Amino acid sequence: MTFFFEVLIGGLLAGVMYSLVALGFVLIYKASGVFNFAQGAMVFFAALTFVSIVERGVNFWLAIAITLAAMVVLAFAIERVVLRFLVNQPQITLFMATIGLAYFIEGLAQGLWGAQVHAIELGIQDVPFKLAGINISQFDLFASGTAAVLVAVLALFFSYTRTGRALRAVADDHQAALSIGIPLERIWVIVWAVAGFVALVAGLLWGARTGVQFALTFTALKALPVLILGGFESIPGAIVGGLIIGATEKLAEVYIGSSLGLNIGTGIENWFPYALAMVFLLIRPEGLFGEKRIERV
Amino acid sequence: MSDRTIQDRIIFHDALGVMEVDWSDWTFTTEAEVNEFYDEIDRKAVATGKRWYFLVNYVGCVISPAIWPRFAERGKYANITYGLGTVRIGASAATRDAIRQRAKGEMFRANIFESRDQAMLALGEMRKRREVLGGIPSGDTAEVYLRVEDIHLNFGGVKALTGVGFEVNRGEVSSIIGPNGAGKSSMLNVISGFYRPSRGRIIFEGRDRTHLPTHAVARLGFARTFQNIALFKGMTTLDNIMTGRSWKMKGNVLTDALYWGYAQKEEIKHREHVERIIDFLEIEAIRKTQVGRLPYGLQKRVELARALAMEPKVLLLDEPMAGMNVEEKEDMVRFILDVNEQWGTTIVLIEHDMGVVMDISNYVVVLDHGAMIAEGTPDEIRADPVVIRAYLGQG
Amino acid sequence: MIYREAGQFKTTYAKDQAIFPIRQDRYAMAAILTIAFFIVPFSVSDYWFNAILIPFLILALAALGLNILTGYTGQLSLGTAGFMAVGAFAAFNFMLRVPGMPLLVAFILAGLTAALVGIAFGLPSLRIKGFYLAVATLAAQFFIEWVLIKFGWFSNYNSSGVITAQPMIILGYEFITPRSKYLLTLAIVAVMALAAKNMARSETGRVWMAVRDMDIAAEVIGINILKAKLLAFAVSSFYCGVAGALWAYAYLGSVEPSAFTLDRSFQILFMIIIGGVGTVLGSFLGAAFIVLLPILLNVGAHYIPGVPRDLLSNLELIVFGGLIIFFLAVEPHGLARLWQIGKEKLRLWPFPH
Repeated sequence: MTFFFEVLIGGLLAGVMYSLVALGFVLIYKASGVFNFAQGAMVFFAALTFVSIVERGVNFWLAIAITLAAMVVLAFAIERVVLRFLVNQPQITLFMATIGLAYFIEGLAQGLWGAQVHAIELGIQDVPFKLAGINISQFDLFASGTAAVLVAVLALFFSYTRTGRALRAVADDHQAALSIGIPLERIWVIVWAVAGFVALVAGLLWGARTGVQFALTFTALKALPVLILGGFESIPGAIVGGLIIGATEKLAEVYIGSSLGLNIGTGIENWFPYALAMVFLLIRPEGLFGEKRIERV
Repeated sequence: MSDRTIQDRIIFHDALGVMEVDWSDWTFTTEAEVNEFYDEIDRKAVATGKRWYFLVNYVGCVISPAIWPRFAERGKYANITYGLGTVRIGASAATRDAIRQRAKGEMFRANIFESRDQAMLALGEMRKRREVLGGIPSGDTAEVYLRVEDIHLNFGGVKALTGVGFEVNRGEVSSIIGPNGAGKSSMLNVISGFYRPSRGRIIFEGRDRTHLPTHAVARLGFARTFQNIALFKGMTTLDNIMTGRSWKMKGNVLTDALYWGYAQKEEIKHREHVERIIDFLEIEAIRKTQVGRLPYGLQKRVELARALAMEPKVLLLDEPMAGMNVEEKEDMVRFILDVNEQWGTTIVLIEHDMGVVMDISNYVVVLDHGAMIAEGTPDEIRADPVVIRAYLGQG
Repeated sequence: MIYREAGQFKTTYAKDQAIFPIRQDRYAMAAILTIAFFIVPFSVSDYWFNAILIPFLILALAALGLNILTGYTGQLSLGTAGFMAVGAFAAFNFMLRVPGMPLLVAFILAGLTAALVGIAFGLPSLRIKGFYLAVATLAAQFFIEWVLIKFGWFSNYNSSGVITAQPMIILGYEFITPRSKYLLTLAIVAVMALAAKNMARSETGRVWMAVRDMDIAAEVIGINILKAKLLAFAVSSFYCGVAGALWAYAYLGSVEPSAFTLDRSFQILFMIIIGGVGTVLGSFLGAAFIVLLPILLNVGAHYIPGVPRDLLSNLELIVFGGLIIFFLAVEPHGLARLWQIGKEKLRLWPFPH
């Protein structure tokens, strides 16, 4: 039984990491209606930039500041070069454009900083401690804490600030937002910059956990099932979705793998989240926290 | 009682196929009187061995309420046995209401007109329709063609339609009118099979069709156009209209991949049909244009063409003339009338232009806030105070 | 002046519906086919066959498949490589386990197997649309990859993970030289491209495009949307399956899952975006572009001194990503549309209008 709980809790905490990446998606989707496939690439870019600066001897906090600035510049560039030209295109075109953007950012990151794997030191020992007889990773706990703080801040931001309200208006209808005087371009830069910040946090945590390498870009793909479960526009949904995906993924990996008699269980976690997402799509397409859409003729 | 006998009051107009029954200034107080008159009508009509259109004159006619059921019963018998359709003139308010009540319950048309000329005109149209449709009777004795029965439609709390019911006769032009938001488009959507009513039935050609999916309804013979043009923007006019032939086209993906042979022959066969429609609607010049580039009026015409390509039995038009200028409207009306008169297509029309509605409709249904507030011929509707109030507010 | 249509009247509907209604186009196509079949085989080096022409043709075929699903029917798919993998492994297993299996029959069966898998993963399209469906296709991609690797039966329990493809033999003749492999591939692709063009211009194509443009209106016309979508998945996967089999047999010489990863799916998606969604020509243009671009970049970099190696290999990513964004923003209908615009201008040339 202990083993089950260990797997479960390990999965939940891993899920928190997914949630972090999913958060970035939700932000951008909430505010601009764009599904940003390049979020994973942004995580990678942020982590790689940070680690490369630190390795050149820059102080930790200064490096964070510089990387953040870089993300803001990136946000500006994206708004100016990509979004501006694609304002009224259908959602699917924007999605494909972000796929192109992802490739672009990946190439840029590696082109600037090289393709080696780096490790990030955050000063937290990855030593497990025992709680009620179950092994819990200290690092995972720290990550969850960070994510919780981040989510709280973002949720407050969206609900209670003027900018947050403007962001929600823009997500609903670009034209309408324009007509009441919301500066679309500025809003988008803000959103992508915030998403960049979230990407940085995620990048640091993921990087510390698994090393900064190209595979980091694939975290974007894992976020998709998270969003389908949680709803594309919901911040709490991203968290809950992440937790569910993380937990079920690990449980499936361990339990389904062994029941199928496969000695190497690895790999189920690659597709299981998608299968789960598909089931959700058929039963409850708007996700747990999303809003139902009625199509009128 | 006047000095004319029953014999005088039953007149046969052979050339027109009309039997005129003159009840003007006649009084019916006992059942025996009703029977006496009707016996004579029956005897004469049956003797001719033919079916007749009825022209009934109610001006100044008095029927005491007690014998109404008998009266109606005899009338019904007459219609079923040797009738083709009935028009009525000049009924008093009480009689009119009584007839209407009965009509609702027994599913026939009241067809009450103010003047004899109007009544004769309506009769003429009935006859023409019958000729076009090849001898299928319309009016009182028609088999139920399209009946909408007690339709209720809810959208998560919003009641779009409450208890709407009416009948559409074959070969007629019926209009659904009403203020904005009355539920007209929703009604059409229910008939097309887009929306499932929460209660009620749709009966077509005598069978319950309420729960058919949209594409099955289309294959039964329903075509429609949309308020906000539902053309395939990525295709040319020709291709759009050709899609209307989809449900009739034979072949499969393999014959299509081969193309030469079976698929090509099918293409050409249906292309010929589509070209005839293109000629009919005078859109030859824009055949190969991508519809997304066409002006609004032409797009509407292409949408009509696509609907016609389906060779529908019933054509549902949702504001076909919206957004058009006067000339375009006239063209559209001409096309619609041509379709109705030449091919006998039954038409159900949602339209805001009252002039058009009154001109071309045989029957009008008025909706307001999801409920049906009136139905009848254009004349009846025009004079109906309930309708006037709904459109123009109080007074 | 050369490209004038003057004097070319179509007197029958058949002529009006021809693939190349304009005479000049017919001549051009005939010329291209002649060159491809008779001149190229004897005038280019083996390198060209192996590194450029064969992969170009096969990827164009896969792009055709994706175009059928995404371009004509509007169902975004990110699982193209998965269906190719099904085709490759199916061909391998049919050739392995059925004695005396003719090569072309194996390819057709491979395509059919992929089609069945395609239908299975296309079933969700009945309830979900747009890019939610793309997620389902991602599921297909990952699931197929996992199944083919995990269950050893598919690779005949080969422990090294790399299976050598059987030799390609038709009626006793073995296709072993690059030239012969090129001709075989060309023949197969040409036939399937023709079939695709035929499907596109006939009722099947119209139904697909109707589903793409406005599926509600398609229903109202009497089209059964689910059947249309499933058919698109089936035909598209068939094409991808055959492409996968060809990739393994005519190009790689081996059947390996690593050739059919998500990257490949994206690569083919990029091909149809750049080349032109919803056109047969676009599939070829896009494939040519993507196959040639890395080579051009490589060659070009040699002329620019001092370019760091790192940047060069990442330049591909940058250029691809940038081009995708460029095409989507500027000309969403890709090179094929640019080609069309060019032809229109050519009809008037040298007159301005």
